[in-house]
Amino acid sequence: MSLSAVTGFRARLPRGEGPWAWLAAGSVALSLLLLAGLLSLIAVRGLGHFWPSSVSLVELDDGQVFAGRAVRELPLPAADGAIRARERLYFTGNRDLDGHVWRWVAVARITGSERPRELVVLERGRHGDFIGRLVEVMPAGQRGTSVGDGDGDGGSGSKVAWATLQARLSAVDALRAERDELQHRVIPPLVRRLGNDPADSQAQRRLAETNERIRGLQQSMRADAVVLESVDGRRLVLTLDEVLRAWRPNAMSLPQKLGAWGRGVWRFLSEGPRAANSAGGVWPAIFGTVLMVMLMSLLVAPFGVLAAVYLNEVAHQGRLTNWVRIAVRNLAGVPSIVYGVFGLGVFVYGIGGSLDEWFFSDELPSPTFGTGGLLWASLTLALLTLPVVIVATEEGLARIPDHQREGALALGATRLEMLTRVVLPMAVPAMLTGMILAVARAAGEVAPLMLVGVAKLAPQVPVDGEFPFLHLERKFMHLGYHVYDTAFHGDDIQAAMPLVYATALLLVLVVVVLNLTAIFLRHYYRARHGALSRH
Amino acid sequence: MIKPSSAAPSPRSPRRHLLDRLATGLIAAGGIGVILAVLAIGAFLALEVVPALLSGALSQGQITRSLSPLAWGTLKAAFWAMVFAVPMALGAAIHSSVYMSPRLRSRIKPTLELMEALPGVVVGFVAGLVLAPWVERHLAGAFVLLLVMPLGALMASGIWRRLSPAVRQGMPLAWAGLWLVPWLAMLGMGALELAPWLEAWLFGGDLRGWLDAELGIDYASRNALIVGLAMGFAVMPSVYALAEDALSGVPSSLGEGAQAMGATRWQTLWKVVLPAAAPGVFAAVMIGAGRAVGETMIVLMASGNAGVMSLSPLEGMRSMAAGIAIELPEAVPGSDSYRLLILAALLLFLFTFLVNTLAEVVRSRLRRRYRRLGDLS
Repeated sequence: MSLSAVTGFRARLPRGEGPWAWLAAGSVALSLLLLAGLLSLIAVRGLGHFWPSSVSLVELDDGQVFAGRAVRELPLPAADGAIRARERLYFTGNRDLDGHVWRWVAVARITGSERPRELVVLERGRHGDFIGRLVEVMPAGQRGTSVGDGDGDGGSGSKVAWATLQARLSAVDALRAERDELQHRVIPPLVRRLGNDPADSQAQRRLAETNERIRGLQQSMRADAVVLESVDGRRLVLTLDEVLRAWRPNAMSLPQKLGAWGRGVWRFLSEGPRAANSAGGVWPAIFGTVLMVMLMSLLVAPFGVLAAVYLNEVAHQGRLTNWVRIAVRNLAGVPSIVYGVFGLGVFVYGIGGSLDEWFFSDELPSPTFGTGGLLWASLTLALLTLPVVIVATEEGLARIPDHQREGALALGATRLEMLTRVVLPMAVPAMLTGMILAVARAAGEVAPLMLVGVAKLAPQVPVDGEFPFLHLERKFMHLGYHVYDTAFHGDDIQAAMPLVYATALLLVLVVVVLNLTAIFLRHYYRARHGALSRH
Repeated sequence: MIKPSSAAPSPRSPRRHLLDRLATGLIAAGGIGVILAVLAIGAFLALEVVPALLSGALSQGQITRSLSPLAWGTLKAAFWAMVFAVPMALGAAIHSSVYMSPRLRSRIKPTLELMEALPGVVVGFVAGLVLAPWVERHLAGAFVLLLVMPLGALMASGIWRRLSPAVRQGMPLAWAGLWLVPWLAMLGMGALELAPWLEAWLFGGDLRGWLDAELGIDYASRNALIVGLAMGFAVMPSVYALAEDALSGVPSSLGEGAQAMGATRWQTLWKVVLPAAAPGVFAAVMIGAGRAVGETMIVLMASGNAGVMSLSPLEGMRSMAAGIAIELPEAVPGSDSYRLLILAALLLFLFTFLVNTLAEVVRSRLRRRYRRLGDLS
């Protein structure tokens, strides 16, 4: 504390709170800053991925030309630190032509950069994105007839080709939807019928017909080809079934870009992953997370409430009950991985192994329940979140004033009637709070799932039209594990990063919304409760 | 008003009584069953490991060899997490229990609760794949940032006292938690701009090379400092919440007495409130340490998972929880490596359970003491 030159009694009186108070205030500010930084980083990167950003045509000082999307810029590592040279990272696509999709360029070497409107970006089934020029659309197998034309009158020729490409692509999309419908809805029941009765001639005939139709559809999807040219002049011919989407980012207006962004977000939410999880969407992971959490809630809600009611209303309130209460509370602080170990040892190897021996012995040694699966994962997480529900419910029960119970008993109610008609209805908001907190915790928990049944890529979701409809023994995908796996075990992590950001954002949103609900519910409950105890 | 129901059963019909007894019995049985199931975790871990230990199937040397790097890594990660989390959490708890305006406090507390709920996998991803490469490139900048943040708060205090009273009224200490945010962000950006020049001037432009040449320190991209920062971020809110509870639970008569004698709020806090709340603050720190020891995903993603035992905060490590998560799915049940991993899980369980129980006992004692102190006045 700096004192002024004034001496005497007044000078010794403290002026203000001194520097330490400001350090304390600084730590509040710092934690808010960190939280805001983390959330905005995830939000910006996650949502920005779907924005159709412009593609620039870059010319270097040695005459090289390439097209790409500028991703970021960094200072070039220099020996003396004084030279402020920078280099820029471009996403150039065209893995099949160049062998790589990223390109670092020193900014000083760039002699020209423009954004020609005719550059197209194609999302493809294989090899990732293509960035370049569209030459023409033609029937497949035919030699390019109008090669000279495409180069000659650039503008109008490419405009026509672009319009044709748009029309053909939407036709191919319709064909693809029809094929997927046949493959996923029609074929599996037929295959099952044949599995039950191999001599079923009707099913055989229909299966053959369907396969024929699928072949026909695939044929017509491959009927047209698109001729492309990279900006440095290399040609590429693709059949249209390989092209998923095409857009010309430099020619799009803002509303068009917004529309494309919205469609991108929707595809991310509704489609399955492609290219070893580094592209496509996360629908199976969303589905797996939600299903697992729902199963867990079904398990944890009745048992949690039961245990809380026992501890608070039935058990003799002695020292033993108190110790049990403390122990249950402390189990909420036991690391989640320990629950995972318990789940693996007891549920998977113990109970699952025995179930396999009793009921699925003809499938051994390949395990049915003796390996990680949906059921074991939900059970483990239910155990993990039980303490949360018990503690929250008990807190709610303890807040109900005793005179409510005494009033009910005095009017002649038995204990069961007192519980079901007076106490439990009053404790419903507390139970809900506990449930929401449990769901929020379970949705974000990954470590135990790695031991008891999450999968990198589960081709079948655990619910389908096949009896018994809900397949508890199947492995499932999970948003949190998807983040971990894609970020650490992918081939091209750099290319998968935007998707990881988007998945992380989705997970954070789910957890934050659930927690906010719990916070508001608790707030409402406390406010109402304050009014109750004043009576 | 009260309509007598025609079908009302007599107050003490035997059927209702029987139903009541039955239900109470069911609740008791179910409750005890659930509680036993939850408590069975410790029993299962012990049953898997203790026979092997007693029969000598797991030798002493084997245990030390395979578990000591993991134990070391766990403690190292938790230590650095606490180095970041404790000052921040206690500072925030002090500020919000003593200085902060009640309106702001009712907003900040849920915000930090949300921070606690952020999934570990997200924090670990950002730490391991965004923060670690960034710090590797801007090592000097990162160190400067660590220095600038506390200095910035102190600078704010100096500048604030020289402001005119009207401006001070507009930016009171009670809202400092909010209006310091842009100030710190500005300072941070300035520091990052300055850092390369500082690095060039002091370390010849290459801090990592300098560290290697002058001090012989290796730098791993995913190291204990990164883990500490990320895990400190994850642990800080729970320490904050518990410490804030302890501090604001101190009977207000104590603080009021000190302030009436002419003490400032900081002096009151330091000499009266903090000593009274010390056990609660200690319990908060212990619970935070328990969480840091068991956190899996952050360490798994941000530590590099190399089983090295070194003191240097710039090298990586492998923690028990991460080791279990990686190795257990591949271990054959009943094998030695499986047993060793279960032993690691048992150690984690015992440690966190004991720490939490201790903290809980301390807290309940403290609550009783507060009640007594409150009654005296």
